[in-house]
Amino acid sequence: MPRPSASIEDRLAVGLSERFDPVALENGSRVGVIGGGPAGSFFSLFLLKMAETIGLDVDIDIYEPRHFVHKGPAGCNHCGGIVSEFLVQLLAAEGFRLPPEVVQRGIDSYMLHMDVGTVRIDTPLQEKRIAAVYRGNGPRDAGPAPTHVVGFDRHLQDLAVSRGAKIRRQLVNQVSWEEDRPHVQCSTGPSEVYDLVAVAAGINSNVLQPIEGLEFGYRIPEAARTFICEFHLGEATIREHLGTSMHLFLLDIPHLECAAIIPKGDFVTLCLLGDKIDDSLVTTFLDAPEVRACFPKAMVPRTVCHCFPRINVKAAVRPFTDRIVLIGDSGVARLYKDGIGSAYRTAKAAARTAVFHGISDEAFAKHYWPTCRQIDVDNSIGRFMFTVSHVIQKTRPTRRALFRMTATEQTRTGNRRHMSSVLWDLFTGSAPYREILLRTFRPAFVARLGWNLVAGNVAPGSLASANGQPTNGDANGH
Amino acid sequence: MTETNIYDDSLVYPEQLEKRPPCQANCPIGTDIRGWVGLIAQRKKLGYTRNEAYLRAWEHLTEFNPFPATTGRVCPHPCTVECNRTEKDGPIAVNALERFLGDWAIKKELPTPKLESDTKHESIGVIGAGPAGLSFAYQMARRNYQVIVYEKASEPGGMLRYGIPGYRLPKDTLHAEIQRIVDLGVEIKLNATVGESVSVDQIRSRHDVLFLGIGAQLSRQLGVPGEDGGGCWTGTDYLSCVNRGQPADLGQRVAVVGGGNTAIDAARAARRSGADVTVLYRRTRDEMPAIGSEVDDAMAEDVRFEFLVAPIRIERRDESIRSVVIQRMELGPPDTSGRRSPRPIEGSEAEIPFDSVIVAISQVPDWQHLGGLNPSGDRLKTTQSGQVANTLWAGGDTLNPGIAGLAIAQGRKAALDVHARLRGLPQPEDGDGSATPVARVKPDYYEHQDPLAVPSRAVGTWLSEPDREIHQTISERAFLEETSRCLSCGRCFGCEHCWTYCNPGGFTRLEEVQPGTYFSLSIEMCEGCRKCVEVCPCGFLSVQPQPV
Repeated sequence: MPRPSASIEDRLAVGLSERFDPVALENGSRVGVIGGGPAGSFFSLFLLKMAETIGLDVDIDIYEPRHFVHKGPAGCNHCGGIVSEFLVQLLAAEGFRLPPEVVQRGIDSYMLHMDVGTVRIDTPLQEKRIAAVYRGNGPRDAGPAPTHVVGFDRHLQDLAVSRGAKIRRQLVNQVSWEEDRPHVQCSTGPSEVYDLVAVAAGINSNVLQPIEGLEFGYRIPEAARTFICEFHLGEATIREHLGTSMHLFLLDIPHLECAAIIPKGDFVTLCLLGDKIDDSLVTTFLDAPEVRACFPKAMVPRTVCHCFPRINVKAAVRPFTDRIVLIGDSGVARLYKDGIGSAYRTAKAAARTAVFHGISDEAFAKHYWPTCRQIDVDNSIGRFMFTVSHVIQKTRPTRRALFRMTATEQTRTGNRRHMSSVLWDLFTGSAPYREILLRTFRPAFVARLGWNLVAGNVAPGSLASANGQPTNGDANGH
Repeated sequence: MTETNIYDDSLVYPEQLEKRPPCQANCPIGTDIRGWVGLIAQRKKLGYTRNEAYLRAWEHLTEFNPFPATTGRVCPHPCTVECNRTEKDGPIAVNALERFLGDWAIKKELPTPKLESDTKHESIGVIGAGPAGLSFAYQMARRNYQVIVYEKASEPGGMLRYGIPGYRLPKDTLHAEIQRIVDLGVEIKLNATVGESVSVDQIRSRHDVLFLGIGAQLSRQLGVPGEDGGGCWTGTDYLSCVNRGQPADLGQRVAVVGGGNTAIDAARAARRSGADVTVLYRRTRDEMPAIGSEVDDAMAEDVRFEFLVAPIRIERRDESIRSVVIQRMELGPPDTSGRRSPRPIEGSEAEIPFDSVIVAISQVPDWQHLGGLNPSGDRLKTTQSGQVANTLWAGGDTLNPGIAGLAIAQGRKAALDVHARLRGLPQPEDGDGSATPVARVKPDYYEHQDPLAVPSRAVGTWLSEPDREIHQTISERAFLEETSRCLSCGRCFGCEHCWTYCNPGGFTRLEEVQPGTYFSLSIEMCEGCRKCVEVCPCGFLSVQPQPV
């Protein structure tokens, strides 16, 4: 790999196919990172780490006005707070083990709630665990504050700082292009010049507007409105009613793609994803008997905190140019699930490009964009799969088939868990959508589903011995 | 279906509500400090040039106080006591800012503008050209009243002129600020003792309204044996002598009795004459009413302090003072002033040799020639705005000895009251700005900025150049930096947090911004997440309990 500071001779020695990029980081280069969420912190961590391996000395300023230590939405980054097993493993491999004060609860199973019954699906491999975290410092004050809570974002930020990044608690309100360098302007103080600006501002702020205004072709990702709220139940009640499971709901509610209740410490987080989440959908959902059954005395308590965050539903157009790259939700993110995982992937790809290939438009197009495109393509598959799952949700016989197949799998050890693993990965974001889809094409999967479609609808009573608990669907149905 | 209000935290909507900052609440004059500092700090957002911002700030500040260069030097700045920046990295140095802007205006020879162009036919008389009387005269003259001020001394300024030594307040500075009031058309008759050169009746018939700002010129005495006779001074007499440039022979060993600003000023002035000075105070340093930094400076000049002592006798040899016999004290329970009251310790008398004694324990108004205005001679009883009788108002030390800022405040309050009554206007509200105090400012959303260091002359030169000012005016660069430290508690300064983080786009950037108004809020867009309120650093956004 050519070193940016390499001599002319060294550069000439490089194979002709590896053209040296004249726009590259050099010793003393300044990198500005706009946004100190996971994407910004991951990018800073990787950039510093990779730069070190080739003896490159760069300065990083992370602009993040929020501290992620305040309770409630002010200190939060608005998501369900699930770190997928894929990412938990990756982080551990990188040497970033999540400490206990960050992990609010290890999730080892999920409960799939449908009108035809509830089925429990255990983690496919026993030792694997999903981490439920807070993106901020937990919900706003409700009763005694949980102790020793460290938000996931703050944890990563502190890691980045410990590796040498500098946090500037300022809000960026303008990015301009002057004399071949990006300039970052905050509401106070003079503007700062950088050799590279990484924009990791997510999608829940207006910071992206000036970037779009630079007119290099970037278009802000399309977003949809979601709903997240928190209930205070207390540790003991949560253990009794929800356990260490994430609760998923496949209900026939229009516009609802995915609904999850995630237990964390003294609180539970409710997350509703879809293409049109509004007050009436939230009300309908919370009124569903399957949902109410998850709470003590079938009563949904009052929320302590709620918001309607936006999620990417269509990738950004051209999230890079000379000396500017957009990562995480500001660029391309995984559809519905594991946004933190895609922040990790895009941040790493961008850092790798910047350190090893250069920071020109061309370098990003060649070495960074493929990662984004891969996620984008996978999202198309994911969108298809959610459509299929919607059809299943809408049709009672298919719901029964899915329920029966999963429940039966869960009762038998050693069997291949076709449906369980598909559902697990679909709802936890633990595998690419493409991979999950391919599994459903396997003859064994198709055959089993066909059999269950028949068996589940001919003799529903035969499930009594299975892991699932069928409910009296007719009484609770449409 | 359940109730529609499933998430009860969503019943909370934001509102843009300006609140009263602690600096303004604690300033006796009620100066909108946040307002004038903000005009400079936010000048770029507001589209002002630097000079334009200074000018606007100056005009805003002088709405309240015609003496910024003066108070910037002598005011103990209670405005900073509850500054929300204190715990983060230190309060804003409001006095240093005020002083800079005051000096800037003097250098620019800026006139203070008249507020009203129509000449008023009422004639206004003011007795006493101290801070209260001049503040009153200034506010009336700005509203185009004819004002005559009667001053018995040969120079205007009252205690600012005769009570405060030159090393704290140069005469030129005070003169320039008084001249600006004169330039508004106020006539100051000097050497005019009401009751002597002009009678009280004459004045009453000449003016429709009278304002009394005669100060508190009479020093109370100790009431101990040996007090009458040579070598015993009152604090005001001694300082007046020094400030007139008249000789005052104190001898080598000087005792100053008292713990207020007059006592400290007298002690430091005496120290400048080369004497060894000891301040005798009957309580401890904690209870001293004098400005803390002045006490520090006095100590740096080797003024000695004896706490918990009270003089009980002054011993004389022939006519001159030989010594002061003191009694040790201890602190008992708090008295009506809230300070712990001193009690004598029996048998603790001691004799300390002194050549002279300056008594600066407290002062009362001198009604000697003005009996007609206050026949009983008791402390005046007034309304909130200083009205004593139909056509008579009063303010300043005349009512109750206090800092110059309080006198300026009372002069202003009286003027606004008089003007409103004469013109049939609604009564001015008590205080300025909104009434709600700012509840929740989040200093951690602001970047750390080191507090200002006020430049001072080296301690070694303080006594060798006794009249030169000790503390200096800050540089323009420091001035601009210090203004940018203001948190703008309770008032929008355009930080953009709300606009940035509002998901449904409820905030809109205004095309034409004004101080305190940068964004509009469309409540119908609100999703009720309360994020804007929680990320608003200055507390301008707050929750309104019911949806609109």
